[in-house]
Amino acid sequence: MTIVAGIDIGSTTAKCVLLDGTSVVGRSLHPVGVELVKDAEQALEKALEAAHLTREEVAFVTGTGYGRFKVSFGQLVVTEIGCHAKGAHFLFPETRLVLDIGGQDTKAIRINGKGEVVDFAMNDKCAAGTGRFLDVCAGALGFDVAELGPAALQARHPVKVTSTCTVFAESEVTSYLSRGKEPRDIVAGLHESIVSRSMSLLQRVGIEPQLTFTGGVSRNEGMVRTLVRRTQLPVNVSPLSQYIGAIGAALFGTERVAGRSA
Amino acid sequence: MITCGLDLGSGITKGVLLEDGHRVLAMTNAPTRGAPTETGRRVLESLVEEANLLPGDVQYLCTTGFARYAYPERDLQVSDLTASARGAVFLFPGTRHIVDIGSQSSRAISTSDTGRVLRFKMNEKCAAGAGRFIDRCSKYLQVPQPELSAKALQAERPKMVSSVCAVLAETEIINNVAEGVPLPDILMGVFLSLANRTHALMRYVGVVPEVTLVGGLVHSGAMVRALEETAKTHINVDPRAHYAAALGSAILGHARRQRLAAPTTTAASAAG
Repeated sequence: MTIVAGIDIGSTTAKCVLLDGTSVVGRSLHPVGVELVKDAEQALEKALEAAHLTREEVAFVTGTGYGRFKVSFGQLVVTEIGCHAKGAHFLFPETRLVLDIGGQDTKAIRINGKGEVVDFAMNDKCAAGTGRFLDVCAGALGFDVAELGPAALQARHPVKVTSTCTVFAESEVTSYLSRGKEPRDIVAGLHESIVSRSMSLLQRVGIEPQLTFTGGVSRNEGMVRTLVRRTQLPVNVSPLSQYIGAIGAALFGTERVAGRSA
Repeated sequence: MITCGLDLGSGITKGVLLEDGHRVLAMTNAPTRGAPTETGRRVLESLVEEANLLPGDVQYLCTTGFARYAYPERDLQVSDLTASARGAVFLFPGTRHIVDIGSQSSRAISTSDTGRVLRFKMNEKCAAGAGRFIDRCSKYLQVPQPELSAKALQAERPKMVSSVCAVLAETEIINNVAEGVPLPDILMGVFLSLANRTHALMRYVGVVPEVTLVGGLVHSGAMVRALEETAKTHINVDPRAHYAAALGSAILGHARRQRLAAPTTTAASAAG
């Protein structure tokens, strides 16, 4: 048994996955603070605790994500693009396209049959189209982010959110509320807006089945439905979709360890 | 003849009362709250009061700004570009380039010596290039609006904001605070970042002196300095330039009213 760890330090949450061969034996997720090095350590500790393992039993640690260089105790650093590709391929081997919507950026990644990156397009310059957009607008609605998906599924007459900018969309939400629009219809409009932004990234790399949806926003059922409708493709979403970057990172570690012992 | 210019902006509603197209009788403003029409009516009332007039004394009313169509009592509406240009040239006759930073949009305008718009470039899609960026910083840094400029001017080593998004910049700025970057350096970085975005619009239009700043940031010494440093040019500033669009629409209203009042002049001269 060789345990490897993948730690994904995102802009919003830190994820850690412990892998034994091809099974996930432990995982953790917590919101990041200001000191990312501490967050990385904490992510690993929590996952070890969940798996009833000790630090000494971990053969290899790989860091990924926006804060990957803060995984200072790791042996390898891989971009989140490579890790999402690998992780998505591992969970859904027929994946050719990955959409990762995180807390602060969005990526469309086209991959080959081996889980290697062929092309990617990303937005990390503007909060529109990312999880941050949902966070800010959920705040204006007085909703918790987790309430957005279920609300959107109840929508009857989705509104059209015309502002691209998150700041202006927030004002638009307030103005829709003051005009008596149903919150659920506003939420549906917000989802539509994010998916529109994702579509342009997906089109840039080429839309091709199967599509796997990863990152925190993939937990949102309303978003998944909207994505299915707009891409006209079935969309793979794993219960571990938030951990896919960390899983990919861990898999890179497994390969290294195997290479070393070979 | 008394004309009124009302600038129904997204953040603040500005109003000017003008006599004979050149004498300012009153200037006032109020934050736009609720329906812009209501705010506009309130501003008109204060103007009339300030000038010791009666509502009936206002002979012609011209609106501008984002809600210019939403004011039923208007006689005329003009675009904010046209109005700002006319107002800026009134305040500084040498003006050939106008920078207008509003709360939700910003523009660079090149103008003729008569205040006619020649070219313009506008950003209304992104808060990072508008006054809203400053508003938000004021909120989360807990520095009241009026103190922002003075604090920023104390900066020794301005900390530039690398993010081009107003929302993502928040995280960056809060991290800078956590890392102990002095507040003045952070604030000046915000002004410089907005100046950078504005300068991109200015370059697109082509900067020809004199350059006049209009809109809500004319009171901000830090914004003026940031813009002068970034664009490497002198910038005309006058506190009344906050009212440039309202002023311009009052002037344009006066001109229109005069043409309407003398409809036979052109016919007669054409006949003659």
